[in-house]
Amino acid sequence: MIKFLLSLFKPFRWFIEKMGADYNQFIMILQLKLTMDNRRTKGIGANAKKETENALIKQSFSQLMIGVFFAIFFFFIKSSFTFYFFFHSFLMAMMAMMIISEFTTILFDTSENVIIQPLPIKGNTISLARNAHVLTYLTLMSFNLSVVTIITAGVKFGFLSALLFSFTIFMNVLFTLFLANMLYLIIMRLASGEKLKNILMYFQIVIAILFMGAYQLSINMVDKTHISNMVLPVHWYTYLIPPAFFSGLLEAFTLFVFDIRHLIFIAEALLVPVLAIFFTGKYLTPIFNRKLMDLEQGDRVSKVKTETVRKSLWYRMMFGIFVRRKGEHAPFKLIWTMTGRERLFMQSFLPSLGFIVIMIAVQFFRNNTFNLDEIIHSKLYLLILYSFMFIGLTLPASLLNGNNQQATWIFKTVPLSLPADYFKGFIKAAFARFFVPFYLVISVGVCFLWGYTVIPDVLVAILAIYLVTTLFYYLQSPGFPFAQPKTASQGGMAFVKMMGLMLTAVALGLMHYFLLRWSAYAGLLLIPLYLGLIYYVNRIFVYKKITWEKVDEVNIYP
Amino acid sequence: MSNQTIVQIQNLEKFYEKKQVLHGINLEITSGQIIGYIGPNGAGKSTTVKILCGLINEFQGEISIFGKDLRTNTLEIKKQVGYIPENAVLYESLTPMEFMEFIGEMRGLENEITRSKAEALMNIFEMKANLNQRIATFSKGMRQKVMICSALLHNPDLIFMDEPLSGLDANSVIMVKEMLIHLAREGKTVFYSSHLMDVVEKISDRIILIDQGRVIADGSFDELNKLSNDENLEKMFTRLTGNTNHGEKAEAFINAFEK
Repeated sequence: MIKFLLSLFKPFRWFIEKMGADYNQFIMILQLKLTMDNRRTKGIGANAKKETENALIKQSFSQLMIGVFFAIFFFFIKSSFTFYFFFHSFLMAMMAMMIISEFTTILFDTSENVIIQPLPIKGNTISLARNAHVLTYLTLMSFNLSVVTIITAGVKFGFLSALLFSFTIFMNVLFTLFLANMLYLIIMRLASGEKLKNILMYFQIVIAILFMGAYQLSINMVDKTHISNMVLPVHWYTYLIPPAFFSGLLEAFTLFVFDIRHLIFIAEALLVPVLAIFFTGKYLTPIFNRKLMDLEQGDRVSKVKTETVRKSLWYRMMFGIFVRRKGEHAPFKLIWTMTGRERLFMQSFLPSLGFIVIMIAVQFFRNNTFNLDEIIHSKLYLLILYSFMFIGLTLPASLLNGNNQQATWIFKTVPLSLPADYFKGFIKAAFARFFVPFYLVISVGVCFLWGYTVIPDVLVAILAIYLVTTLFYYLQSPGFPFAQPKTASQGGMAFVKMMGLMLTAVALGLMHYFLLRWSAYAGLLLIPLYLGLIYYVNRIFVYKKITWEKVDEVNIYP
Repeated sequence: MSNQTIVQIQNLEKFYEKKQVLHGINLEITSGQIIGYIGPNGAGKSTTVKILCGLINEFQGEISIFGKDLRTNTLEIKKQVGYIPENAVLYESLTPMEFMEFIGEMRGLENEITRSKAEALMNIFEMKANLNQRIATFSKGMRQKVMICSALLHNPDLIFMDEPLSGLDANSVIMVKEMLIHLAREGKTVFYSSHLMDVVEKISDRIILIDQGRVIADGSFDELNKLSNDENLEKMFTRLTGNTNHGEKAEAFINAFEK
């Protein structure tokens, strides 16, 4: 598959060389990157020997499935312009999400510089290879997401339309990559070094939340009954919207209409992405390279004040509530400190808190109306409280991500008989530091709106969420914190896990809901049940599940 | 504590899948000694150290440390052991103080004691001012110093060091060498694995040379010298590991890239 992907760059050799890169070196760097992505070990450490040689294929399959889901939505749109406009918008959004959440670390990765920079390789070759690496994944992802829609387009609008659709998908990928480069350069102008890394992290978090918000909003705003007959009007500003370029071109060739309006769209669809990528390669890439050097230097000058967080009243309260065994003390402190500093953790976890806020907001504005009286006489607060179940998935996985694979030896050299104590300390610290305050604030709002009678339900929900979060953490492979690198080929399994978790959340929420319908205080019955289950999971199950043998299977001790 | 057997290894074997890396190592190490454990790359030095520190659990043979079986008393043994790994990789988002507090607490030390010890040890390396800086900002040598301090925090009786001088500046190297000699005088046992022959020759009471997973020489430098008449440890090392033709290899190397 890698050879096939590399062969796709052959026709663009002239372009790559025109950008000032050495084609052979470019291909060699790209081949190395793709080979390494494809050979990531399945577990976390060298002890986990099974390699996922077919990581790309597995990832492609999950994207295909998502593509099927969206193709059903697009199938009912009759107008070709609207059909293609929506699809290209959806694709751009998906790619932007992917670049921001998955590829920022790759675009900004300077770890290979130590090997590549002493070699006689031009900066342009390295940067173009880095962009091509991202481009390969974006193109692959785009076509995986589009295959079913391309077939749908073929059925609805003819073979030529579908063929040109495939072409415009590639143009869309080029244009989106240019946009990402532009955006990052603007941010890089604002700051450098350590400050830039922090800005990038918060930028990623905000963008991820915005996309989630926009997605939820559009789902709620679109009137599904009229979607099939929807026709988008063309205003003067439509000519400035990138998805319109591509949908205009496609409509021209679907309906064989070549008036001035369509000719403008055709020109834009053909010229803008090509000029954009030329501009990226020729002018943006060298600046990007220079800024990357600054980024690398920035790591050398940071100083942190310590102890302030640990001595806070909040820390001592949470420590008192959550930590029971002596073996959990030090791991709790360690993760409490590190979660505030590990960028990968914050990048992957903090957006989920934002998602929750959006999910809650969406519940309030259902059907584009806001009726407080109706809301406070409903059981909507249950939906709000159980939205936090989303944490159950993101927190355990986020605790794994990081670049500290070689630092885990320390956990093995100190005398601790039950490794489960480590993992209990880790998850409790992350839960107490990032989840509890957030939940408390929302709970106060819920109690304010629905009255003190819902306090037992607030308690039941947090117990259910704590149970699910700890259970999910103990069930995943017992990798030490922040020691699993985030790779370009990490893919769709998170989607499957998320579905499983959502089903669990829905089941627990429904159980709570039906008990409340039976009696207003029936929720109280769940408190002893969950306390019992939490006791079982944290006092018995975890010690059976996490043993040194299992921990050693997934961690490296250099 | 002098001349008490601290480590006893009988017929130690280790396989990585089908590849055997240790072939029946037998050693008896007594207290108050500095043991220089040397060998070429891939000889099995780091593997031996990792087994003795409890990082690798799967091995064949018998090992007892402080008279206790390593397999069944790992935790008790770990309490008295300090370890400095070959690669100075630490959690970079922590500061040395936070890192040492974690280790101190896991080893059952009072927080105040850990803090005062950490300050004193880091002060010796002139790094007290760096105690609250993130490890990410440190050079390799500075990280190595943090590692050495953290390994000595609990005053261990047996210290395993895998290339401990890696990345240290000249003054720190001299200081660590002196420190090791003092530790041995106080009855501590130092198991020192290294490639640096001159250091091993100068500080070791006993030198163990392994090659391809087998002990091929064992004794003090004087004892080994009497048997071989090599002028220094480096010459002895190259002869015993069968690598005497360095001149020819260098010539072949030059020829290879001049082609």
